[in-house]
Amino acid sequence: MTQNRLLNGAVWTAMLLFLGVVVFPFYWMVNTSLKPMSEVFQSPPAFYPSHWTLAGYVNIWATRLMGRYFLNTAVISVGSTLLAMVLSALAAYGFSRFRLRWEQPLILVLLLTQMLPGTLLIIPYFQLMAKLRLINNYLSLILAYVSFALPFSTWMLVGFFRSIPLELDEAAMVDGCSRVGAFWRVILPLSLPGLVAVAIFTFLLAWNAYVFALVLTTDPKMFPLSVGIANMLGEYQVVWNEMMAGAVLATLPVFILYGFLERYLVQGITAGAVKG
Amino acid sequence: MPGRRDWVGQGIRREQRLGYLFVAPMLLFLAGIIFFPLAHAFTTSLYREAGVNVRFVGLGNYRRLLEDEAFWNSLRVSVVFTTASVALHLAVAMPLALFLNQLRRGRTTLRLLFLTPWMVTPVIGATAWVWLLEPHFGVVNYLLRSLGLISAYKIWLGEPALALGSVVAVDVWRGFPFVMLILLAGLQTVPREEYEAASIDGAATFQRFLFITLPHLRYLLVVATTLDVINTIRTFDIVAVMTRGGPVNATEVLPVLIFNTAFQANRFGPAAAVGVVLLLLLLVFSTVYILLLQPERAGERLR
Repeated sequence: MTQNRLLNGAVWTAMLLFLGVVVFPFYWMVNTSLKPMSEVFQSPPAFYPSHWTLAGYVNIWATRLMGRYFLNTAVISVGSTLLAMVLSALAAYGFSRFRLRWEQPLILVLLLTQMLPGTLLIIPYFQLMAKLRLINNYLSLILAYVSFALPFSTWMLVGFFRSIPLELDEAAMVDGCSRVGAFWRVILPLSLPGLVAVAIFTFLLAWNAYVFALVLTTDPKMFPLSVGIANMLGEYQVVWNEMMAGAVLATLPVFILYGFLERYLVQGITAGAVKG
Repeated sequence: MPGRRDWVGQGIRREQRLGYLFVAPMLLFLAGIIFFPLAHAFTTSLYREAGVNVRFVGLGNYRRLLEDEAFWNSLRVSVVFTTASVALHLAVAMPLALFLNQLRRGRTTLRLLFLTPWMVTPVIGATAWVWLLEPHFGVVNYLLRSLGLISAYKIWLGEPALALGSVVAVDVWRGFPFVMLILLAGLQTVPREEYEAASIDGAATFQRFLFITLPHLRYLLVVATTLDVINTIRTFDIVAVMTRGGPVNATEVLPVLIFNTAFQANRFGPAAAVGVVLLLLLLVFSTVYILLLQPERAGERLR
């Protein structure tokens, strides 16, 4: 018994130590963002700011385009989310409510689409968007992110729609609903958790994306957060406290979303892999 | 009744048409945004830039890759990066998943905390690590020297071997939670009675792991590893932010080589050719993954 307790204690200690290592970069982000520059370049580094200040946060809004980066990322993420939800819900309804002869090959194509390397796709996509004069335009990014999100979103929603008994649509249609009415009034409300999962998945995919924006935006006013913040690394003297302030601000919305909705997302993401 | 079958057939056909109407917007979208550009990428790989013009070279770009030291270096770096990262993802994720699975309380909170590296935007996580690894004022050097693990401050991202190690370390930090999630979901499907029966028989913890947990997880381990390889081999953001492929190409994984060739050197044709090679590599792993996902077939294969 005592041996068991000793082992248990050792395991817990190891786990908590490891957890400390895992979350330490976040602590350091916050710590640096609250330091004045004089304290940032101090050796040995201080584990908490002795003269804490919000200067990093103020400067990044006042002297840089942080507000624009935020706006751009928000517009692109929300736009992608809405479009992906509509398209994947329609497609998932088609797959789950009709016996399509081409269902298997189509699902296979969807699966394969997910495995394409983005760095290959960006080459022709850039050439295409340059021809269409869509460089520095939200639309080029929204279209790209929606198409990356669609395969998984559709697949996830098919699962949710299939769990709703067909009798419910039929009952609605007997009661005078059209097909579209049945879809709108019966299926959609019942698969709300699935729709939420699709929404978060697409929103985060767009929020986190980098390489497409790196190529498709050249005007700093059109940079999303990822490109705007990463570009600060290229400055002659990196202003770490401002940069970490930006990192904290860019991370907060993501963590808040996860905090509230982790369960939905984890279910959706693992369902694909476990159930197959 | 000859008429009836006809009627049913027509009904099904009409239903089919309506069904495809629902699926069509998504398919058109993917065709325009993914498949058309993908086809265009193949065409691009058959041309080479010559001054302001492009010239058709057939398979010339591919032939030249075979003698291109930068390409072989990149392939080597990708293999090392992917193998090391995937192996370490598993090595970290497995014990964590086992630990979290047997917890009675606090599992959700701990899982969420361990998930944070995977939640944060990769580019943002990588920028934070660039600061942590900074040679003079970075906290990693300070901590490691205080603990006596290094004798002098290291230039983590400035020396070839150290840079590759650092990039792998950051990818392990970012990538292990995903594998952990999949394994955790799998562990929850292991029937509890089997453990109980085993403890009555006096099986030790390690034996239980070896003879009950592992066989149940074997299928999922293979799926998770394949999926992880597919994701890791495509890693661009972390490397691009931390090293851009340097120093002296020591961290230039294939996606970074493709990006640098296309958008730094403006050689779209050769870049597309490397991209197609990466695509073929991915296709191999994707085929394995898809075959695995058909459980009835996969079952035979893994038994």
